[in-house]
Amino acid sequence: MPSTPAIEADDLVKTYPGGRGRPDVRALDGLTLTVPAGTVHGLLGPNGAGKSTTTKVLTTLSTPTSGTARVAGHDVAREAGEVRRRIGYVSQGTGADPLLTPRENLVMTGRLRGLGRSAAADRATALVDRFGLTELADRGTAKLSGGTRRKLDVALGLVGSPQVLFLDEPTTGLDPEARAAMWDEIRRLSGEDALTVLLTTHYLEEADRLADGLSIVDRGRVVAAGTPDELKATLAGDTLTVDLVEPDADVVRAVAAAVPGLGEVLVHVEGPAGRLVARTPDGPLLVGPTIAALQAAGVRHGAVAVSRPTLDDVYLRHAGRSWTSADTSSTGVAR
Amino acid sequence: MSATFATQLDQVTRRWVTGAIRQPWGLGVAIVQPVIWIVLFGNVFQSVGQVPGFGHDDYLSFLVPGILMMTVLYSGAWAGTGFIDDIRSGVMDRMLSSPVSRPALVLGQLVQQLLICVVQGVMVLVIGALAGAHYAGGVLGMAVALGASVLLAAAFCSLSAAVALLARDQTALIGISTIVVLPATFLSTALMPVQLLPDWVATAAKFNPLTWATSIAQTAMSPDVDWGVVATRSAWLVVLATIVAWWSLRAMRSYQRSL
Repeated sequence: MPSTPAIEADDLVKTYPGGRGRPDVRALDGLTLTVPAGTVHGLLGPNGAGKSTTTKVLTTLSTPTSGTARVAGHDVAREAGEVRRRIGYVSQGTGADPLLTPRENLVMTGRLRGLGRSAAADRATALVDRFGLTELADRGTAKLSGGTRRKLDVALGLVGSPQVLFLDEPTTGLDPEARAAMWDEIRRLSGEDALTVLLTTHYLEEADRLADGLSIVDRGRVVAAGTPDELKATLAGDTLTVDLVEPDADVVRAVAAAVPGLGEVLVHVEGPAGRLVARTPDGPLLVGPTIAALQAAGVRHGAVAVSRPTLDDVYLRHAGRSWTSADTSSTGVAR
Repeated sequence: MSATFATQLDQVTRRWVTGAIRQPWGLGVAIVQPVIWIVLFGNVFQSVGQVPGFGHDDYLSFLVPGILMMTVLYSGAWAGTGFIDDIRSGVMDRMLSSPVSRPALVLGQLVQQLLICVVQGVMVLVIGALAGAHYAGGVLGMAVALGASVLLAAAFCSLSAAVALLARDQTALIGISTIVVLPATFLSTALMPVQLLPDWVATAAKFNPLTWATSIAQTAMSPDVDWGVVATRSAWLVVLATIVAWWSLRAMRSYQRSL
């Protein structure tokens, strides 16, 4: 018999008042999500897709406009107290008081959650050791480096021995080394602690590496869900990408349509630059005919690339726009 | 697993007290400010003591209760900034997603403010005495004066917290506080006895909580204490503080609803 999912969200809608006569902002637009217990689940999407709002609803911070959600077996609206006892939340900001030491932050959190004096001290020491913060535990929190501080944030989320841990953009702003260290920690969380982790990220690579299951979120809805491999497998074949110079989108579309074997053609034009992205069962074979057809039609082109499907392609297919155009502030996207 | 309300209140209070102690600049200003006021106002307005109808022995002894309450007002104006820092840093969200009582989060910070208020009040009395003020009411009078300052602080710090949680903006909080604090100071009997105030100012001063608290301290520290004034003004301050503290709890709920 399958165990109860750690997270079940059903048709969540969250609107915020637009203010001054502007229409309401619909941050969540019927989001549905199921996360099995003991897995790492990635909520992947560009900035503004609704990832953080989902996290806020599931952590009882925010009340949904409509829809229901259960976390660790309890309803987030009607049994908020029960949910709060069973979760840890690492927000996009920090969660640590900069004026207290890391150890003081951990002890206070333990005491607030009902641990006795010595139990809170023991828990703090255990977490300090586990995250390699022993040397820094009694210094100022404000002086910690970005990566160390993020580790402290995660440790704070674990003080209450939660069943479900929410990590909202845990590696945003970290350097590559610190990011890799954080990835190791997140893997250990699911492996050793049998914890359910809901991870929001706008880094495709992060989701690909860490998540057992993924939900791709766009404009407040889940547009695709599955394991990273399942999602990539829905895209058989290769992706052919051609950079274009001052293209006429209609001409390019007509040219691509006439090349046999090119499917799901998308043409982006941004200023003088453009890009043709198409799916094909055999990429290398179609490079020649595609380029020849473009040249025959007088379209100037730049680099040509053939790639195996990536989550970027999955996103492109389900959200109908490319990752980079949906999320201009994203810097960690490798194509 | 959940902590009792008392434990949570204690932990939240400790957190803020520790933070306050580790910000020596804030504490330094809190001590230097009353010194400057006592020296400046005490000298600039010295001649007020010679005006017919002043009704007190010397200006400095009259001034100390007013400075005591002004200190409460000017420090209390900043009380809400801690919440804005917490909202901005993410500490608030972490607290609100954990099983911590909302009243404990608000009241723990208030208790810290009241503790600071008492420490500051004692400093003001000491500095006043060093400057030459006489406290005819003795230790009891000083205790009553400090009690009045705590009631005023409870009302004013709660007001600052409520504004902080509703506006969620440092600039707005400081702006609103400044607009309130300066007129409140001059439309009161903190610097000038009521019989020397223009009629309309005297009328406005009657409704000013700063006047209530100052009146308590002035009579409690005078040779013959008017306990009727102490009792009525204390009652008014208790009612006011209760209403504003309740409002600050509502403001915390309103903040969460905005998320």
